[in-house]
Amino acid sequence: MLINRRTLLRGSGAAAGVFVLGAPALLGQARQRVVIIGGGPGGATAAKYLAKDSEGKLDVVLVEPKKQFTTCFHSNLFLGDFKSFDEITHGYEKIAAQGVRMNHQMAGSIDRDKKEVVLADGLRLPYDRLVLSPGIDLKYDSVPGWSQQHEETMPHAWQAGDQTRLLKARLDAVPDGGTIVMIAPPNPYRCPPGPYERASMMAHVLKAKGRTKAKIVIIDPKETFSKQGLFQEGWEKYYPGMVEWLGPKVHDGLKSVDPKTNTVETGFETYKNAALVNVIPAQMAGKIARDAQLANQSGYCPIQPDSMKSTIDPNIYILGDACIAGEMPKSGFSANSQAKVAAMMIRGELLGARTFPARYANTCWSLIETGDVVKVGGAYEAKEGAIKASSTFVSKTGEDADLRKQNAQENTGWYAGIIADMFG
Amino acid sequence: MPRARIFKAGVCAAFFTCVAPAFAADDIALGEYLSATCVTCHQKSGKVTGGVPSITGWPAEQFIAVMEAYRKKERENEVMRALASGLSTDDIAALAVYFRTLGPGKK
Repeated sequence: MLINRRTLLRGSGAAAGVFVLGAPALLGQARQRVVIIGGGPGGATAAKYLAKDSEGKLDVVLVEPKKQFTTCFHSNLFLGDFKSFDEITHGYEKIAAQGVRMNHQMAGSIDRDKKEVVLADGLRLPYDRLVLSPGIDLKYDSVPGWSQQHEETMPHAWQAGDQTRLLKARLDAVPDGGTIVMIAPPNPYRCPPGPYERASMMAHVLKAKGRTKAKIVIIDPKETFSKQGLFQEGWEKYYPGMVEWLGPKVHDGLKSVDPKTNTVETGFETYKNAALVNVIPAQMAGKIARDAQLANQSGYCPIQPDSMKSTIDPNIYILGDACIAGEMPKSGFSANSQAKVAAMMIRGELLGARTFPARYANTCWSLIETGDVVKVGGAYEAKEGAIKASSTFVSKTGEDADLRKQNAQENTGWYAGIIADMFG
Repeated sequence: MPRARIFKAGVCAAFFTCVAPAFAADDIALGEYLSATCVTCHQKSGKVTGGVPSITGWPAEQFIAVMEAYRKKERENEVMRALASGLSTDDIAALAVYFRTLGPGKK
């Protein structure tokens, strides 16, 4: 057992800890290990809080292949020229300084029976508790005619990074009179207001360049969408004639896309030679979670609402976009909030630390035009077997401009706050 | 010590009767846990960015008064009203004491 573990831990820089890891935890000598998969808002927050609050009593390992993380939230502001790419990209140095051991490679699979994570290089990382925060995978087969091989031609930019930069370059090249077709995703998906904030930012950039004859057509499989009245009011006010939203009753279904000719065919109309087609496909929990049989038929992972623990495996906690968080939307804020509950519960289980009833929060701010931000959010708790809203709010149409400006300032402050909370 | 800090200040009598029997106002652990929600926006360092103010190092009675005003929907801000609505008097007192301990931070 000891030799085996030593072999397993080779290269992790934990030689001194190897022997005690093999000893029974009850002796009080062992540092129990929490492995976290995914360095986004859920995983990074969980890692930081576990390390910080356990004061070195837990061995916390964060497995994330990227050395720099680009946030999906505020990536629309990069598209809209409100932020630079650097401003939405962050390193893990300060998380490591909290005592988190970074492992920058891909987690390949989970051996739930042995309680080990198998990394891309074959190294096996034993865990006492696993925090799984892998985010979403795209359903590349959900849009007829489109697949992973077409994501350069028709970018999704729904996982931030190179795709975000690609979409930005393509957006900047849209000529006056050009048509952008956005394929919006079906529920449930990452960041419910995201596609519509993105359409606003696309219109903002085109308008700023004087290309007001360009048009953004949103082909949506949903009858309604988040903050619909607010976005539609904003589009009419700031970008008249530039943004057209088509629900399923109007477009009569997306028939196919053709990446070779940049054509989008719906039951209602065919858009030929579009200047840009932004395909945001259907989504599901990251592969590693699905492969470990932690997702149900919905493609996402059920969790216990009072702890974020998987209902399928009591040694695994699942956070963020990959989990089924009841009435909480899939957002960076939600993942950050869920991570804090999970970190507390894990410290309770492994260290006997005091725990409190789970409380969750979320707010999504959306920028429509300079100084005009709308918001939706709420406070959430575990109730009747699910995470349910205890209090919610949403901006109203026709609101005072000063209030929208305050929201804009809040949005700026929130981003700095959550980044300091996660990566600071 | 933290509770004493609250109580020595000139706070209204109603506050004493609400908080004193539960002896929760110095529950730093509860305050620290609840603060995790606050610090998603309000930076723990006290640094201010954009329209999110610092909430560290406030006199506890001021912190409590502001949060109670959100809870009663007397003070504007939908985010704060939603979050405050889920907090008890003891929760708010615990938060006040916890954030007081962080000191005023950088402005």
